[in-house]
Amino acid sequence: MAIDRETLRYLGWWLAFGVLMCLLPFVVGTGTLRILIFAHFLAMFAMSWDFLSGRTGYISFGHPFLIGIAGYTTAILSFRFDVPIYYSIPAAIVATMVGGTLFFLPALRIRGTYFALVTLAFMEILYQLTKVVAPKITGGTRGMSGLESIVTGAVNNYYLSFGIMFVTGVVLWLLIRTRLGIALSAIRMNEEAVRSTGHNTTKLKLFAFTVSAAVSGIGGAFYVHYIGSIAPRGMFEINFLFTILVAALLGGAETIIGPIMGAYFLTVLLEYLRPVMPGMERYLLYGAIALVLYVVRPEGIYSIIADAGRKVQEWRR
Amino acid sequence: MTATAGPLLEVRDLHMTFGGIRAVQGISFQVAEGETLGLIGPNGAGKTTVFNMIMAELRPTSGEIWFRGENITRVPTYERVKRGIARTYQVPQPFGEMSVGANIRVGMAPDDIWKLVSEGADHAAEADIGRSVGFSDEQIDMLPSELAMGDLRRLEMARNVAVSPTLLLLDEVFAGLTLREIGQISELLVEKKRKDGLTYIIVSHDLRALAPLVDRVIVMSFGEIIAEGTFDDVVRDEAVRDAYLGQ
Repeated sequence: MAIDRETLRYLGWWLAFGVLMCLLPFVVGTGTLRILIFAHFLAMFAMSWDFLSGRTGYISFGHPFLIGIAGYTTAILSFRFDVPIYYSIPAAIVATMVGGTLFFLPALRIRGTYFALVTLAFMEILYQLTKVVAPKITGGTRGMSGLESIVTGAVNNYYLSFGIMFVTGVVLWLLIRTRLGIALSAIRMNEEAVRSTGHNTTKLKLFAFTVSAAVSGIGGAFYVHYIGSIAPRGMFEINFLFTILVAALLGGAETIIGPIMGAYFLTVLLEYLRPVMPGMERYLLYGAIALVLYVVRPEGIYSIIADAGRKVQEWRR
Repeated sequence: MTATAGPLLEVRDLHMTFGGIRAVQGISFQVAEGETLGLIGPNGAGKTTVFNMIMAELRPTSGEIWFRGENITRVPTYERVKRGIARTYQVPQPFGEMSVGANIRVGMAPDDIWKLVSEGADHAAEADIGRSVGFSDEQIDMLPSELAMGDLRRLEMARNVAVSPTLLLLDEVFAGLTLREIGQISELLVEKKRKDGLTYIIVSHDLRALAPLVDRVIVMSFGEIIAEGTFDDVVRDEAVRDAYLGQ
């Protein structure tokens, strides 16, 4: 991969971000770290969504389906069959990638609203299946609790979740800066024109779907072992889906960095609203904030910060 | 470019039916390598449908398409492009959020995921292609929304040049252009043909612009070929005049 000067400069920012976040446990308490752990998992899901939907324009309403495959696979293997998590987690990621190809099949024929609705149906089907099919294995509506932890303690979990998110973020970000990223964006703008420039768009889309599924798989598998339980209602709830979408869109779709920013913003906002708004009404407020931000700046938080950075550079000159 | 003994493109008894409408009814023609063929006819004659079938954007109801002696009827669009066929559209279809340079980059990009990731873009080559169709250096960084119609047609040409075609299908290439722009595009087509040995099939309603470019013309009406020959011959043809002007 050819790395130009601009990419190197941005990698410097990534490094600074990594160092800063690694120093955070020395400054803040475990309560804040636990909030940030959730932000890291949300960022994983939002980046996964962004790599597929933000890039190719195939809007997925079914990402909890992918996350659920990962969560249930590792939970069932480790909890019911005593498979060590070092095997159950990779198995879950592979299973999610297979699930991603299932997800991909409708994209061979449909796109736009129809594709979004089909993916929503995928989520609903898995929701119902986990409740009624083999409840002795899936735990039915109650799910499973008491899942094995990978590491213990807020600090260790913070570093683990940040490490996974950081590495995934850098890899995805580097991918979208290559010509592959341009080709995937071109699919969003005009798929027929991409084909007429000699590209097999099926292959490109399959790659995007598989990568997106792998990221959802990694996030989903680690997430359920962090929270220690899995239940269909929490996993396939519409609020969970919207939180992923809002994090990606609010942060700035098609950028990978934006969904990370969106995830931090949303998680911190929701948690700090909790003392003043303990009920569901805080979702109303966060919805309003998201709406206003999205209307005022559809490119998201990332573009606001990027613009500010450009202005500072101009001012320094 | 590989020379072939037979025709470069051969269309055999092509039919296309949309529901009850027979858009193309038994079209057959050949195009020799290096030739420029004009495909004309009134609106709804089926010209663009023929282009869509040659590019595999539509699957013919029946009939065959041969390219360089190979039956490509079931070959998908991207493979036809790799074999050397490319097209422009009646309404230019740029990648709207990408600069001219990035549009060309998509055309230059290989159909190989590993190479897309591992090999960087060749910005100098992109600029060369842009300049070869008449873009200035400033225009290479512009968005399609900042370009005039003539420049959008150039952009489609540039993206097609980037895939190194042998046969280029030009759909209404002069539509929406000023006289000056028509002259510039015509010059570009002649220049590209001279330098790269391109073969063209040109669909155009602008017969005055088409006349100096074509070696031969096929006239379509209601999905059928009604005349074929040199430009001067077909415009004098009674059936052609009837098709254009009504009886």
